[in-house]
Amino acid sequence: MARYIVRRVLSAIPVLLFISFMIYGILLIAPGGPEARFAQNPKITAAQVEAFRKRWGLDQAMPVQYCRWLGVCNPDNTGLAVFISDNGVPNFLPAAIGGGDNGILHGDLGFSLRDGRPVTVVIGERILPTLILAAVAWAIWLTIAILAGMYAAVHRYGLFDSVLTVFSYIGFSLPTFWLGIMLLAVFASGLKVLPAGGMWSTRDVPIFGTPDYWAFASAQPWKAATDLGTHLILPVFTLVVVSVAGDSRFVRAAMLDSLSQDYVRTARAKGVSERMVTMKHAFRNALLPIVTNVGLEVPFLFTGAIVTETVFSWPGMGRLSIEATNSFDYPVLMGVLLIAALLTVFANLLADILYAVVDPRITYG
Amino acid sequence: MAERRGTGAGGGTPVTPAEIEDLPDELDYEVQLESLNQWQLAWRRFKKHRLAVIGSTIFFTMVAIGLIGPILWPYDPTSITRPDQIVYAGRPPSWTTGDWNPLLVMGETGRLQRDVFQLVINGARLSLMIAFVATTISVVIGTIWGGVAGYFGGRLDTVMMRFVDAVLSLPLLFVILVASKFLGSGSWVTVALIFGLLGWAGLSRLVRSQFLSLREEAFVDAARAVGVSDSRIIFRHILPNSLSPIIVSATLAVAGVIVAEAFVSYLGFGVDPSQPTWGNVLSNSLEFITQGNWWWPFFPGMAIVLTVLGINFMGDGLRDALDPRSKL
Repeated sequence: MARYIVRRVLSAIPVLLFISFMIYGILLIAPGGPEARFAQNPKITAAQVEAFRKRWGLDQAMPVQYCRWLGVCNPDNTGLAVFISDNGVPNFLPAAIGGGDNGILHGDLGFSLRDGRPVTVVIGERILPTLILAAVAWAIWLTIAILAGMYAAVHRYGLFDSVLTVFSYIGFSLPTFWLGIMLLAVFASGLKVLPAGGMWSTRDVPIFGTPDYWAFASAQPWKAATDLGTHLILPVFTLVVVSVAGDSRFVRAAMLDSLSQDYVRTARAKGVSERMVTMKHAFRNALLPIVTNVGLEVPFLFTGAIVTETVFSWPGMGRLSIEATNSFDYPVLMGVLLIAALLTVFANLLADILYAVVDPRITYG
Repeated sequence: MAERRGTGAGGGTPVTPAEIEDLPDELDYEVQLESLNQWQLAWRRFKKHRLAVIGSTIFFTMVAIGLIGPILWPYDPTSITRPDQIVYAGRPPSWTTGDWNPLLVMGETGRLQRDVFQLVINGARLSLMIAFVATTISVVIGTIWGGVAGYFGGRLDTVMMRFVDAVLSLPLLFVILVASKFLGSGSWVTVALIFGLLGWAGLSRLVRSQFLSLREEAFVDAARAVGVSDSRIIFRHILPNSLSPIIVSATLAVAGVIVAEAFVSYLGFGVDPSQPTWGNVLSNSLEFITQGNWWWPFFPGMAIVLTVLGINFMGDGLRDALDPRSKL
């Protein structure tokens, strides 16, 4: 078991390295770049641009730049000594034991090209809004999907099952952003009962995440909560409709599978009540694939629903990545991409390990 | 002796051999033997799948609209319906206001006063074309990549599949956004190319798993024993046997590309905004939503929903029809 986990973790490292290389490569050849903003400024001479490129190491070859960005190379050294930190130990080691302090391995994601703040700060302030939206939607759709999927499986081919089937087909086919647009058209601009996007009422609530906001929230907690709540309704509804479609089918299939197992028949033959058979014997076993599936949804909680956040102008990570792409803010975009890739690989890992832990039948070769 | 059971609707009671002997003679009739190949059998199963028939009807209607609609409909997508009148906010569909004007069934957009129906049919042409081209490219790449990895196995397989892992871990949308910025968005060919070149990874996994199991079959050994070349074994012996999952996932991929194209266009990274793809029509309509122009995003969106729904039904039907074990 321990060997399996160690091997699985080790096999994730080359994948992560490769992803980081691809992200770096793709964004290096993309248009724009750190010095692109000087192109429009007549007061900046070519010599100054050259000095800027030299200062930030942009004149180096691509492998060297990548190595520095990764944090394996030390930008202060040359020759073979690039791999050695200022303290004389390999540069990729943590700074606490004498390694370098540059590059993503040391948590240095660089600076935003838009406002010059560290990328970690820019991303950091988007995490909470994303978590709020994603977690609320996730909790609701998971509850609905499990209940609906179970009910449909127990009463297979019943009225509810057919309705759920039709609903999930439609839910699958609905483009998320179109659903969002139509909801906005009806509830925000037509009926005018809900806000048209955003996370807070700009008129009477301070900007979310600032000290002002927290002061306001502690002074008028009810008002802050209802304000956030009304802004949450439409995006959460959009996410729930689209996601319940897929997940309820998944729960239904898992539940049907475990209801047809021999142990369920045995339990029924013993005279266990139908309720107990469903809840205890079948559902507990159906949980296995469901847990795995839920594990794979974890990255979404942090990287956010790009589509929903964009349509409803929710200030989260998904929207940040679109904004960064639009303004050629590559350090921020790379940071978001990297976090997303890391979480995806981690979630895959977690799902694999969870599955192996929960299901005793699995052997690790 | 094994007990035989009667089939058919009222069947289910055991029929003993003695009873068969007693059956009246008039039940003897000549049986016309008809030999059907796999595809004919699959077609027969597909026709019995009600949802699949409905779905493919919707889908092929959309394709037909995209093909001949723009020729038949009098307005061309770049013309302004009535340049003499400036009706800034657009006009709602004629049936909602009471006056029945068949040329205005889906209303008129704001600003440029375009006919929404005309945008929908021209959008069908562009959006479906992008979807077909992109799917073809990704199916070809995915099949070859997965086929080679699965057939040869070993170290080559490991390296190729780690590459697929990496491609799948990259958030596809971002890569598309950056790629379309880099390649310069605008023409629909570029957009189709980008989707095609980035969308093959999932399919290659599927093809690989098929090839992994099929290459152990006796007919592959036999082919190898008589000296058939590797490429011929891959494409002529194994590939035809793994076609059905490929067809199903290609069908569903068309739906995926339609939605993705609409979203990428909506974000402004897709086809040039003056070209009427469904996504562009939707994204152009956004600024007019606050003026109550609901018909502008509604109809192109419904076109997407219907097409995707039709494809999904069709894909499900194909999955059942192409499975020789299915009891349809």
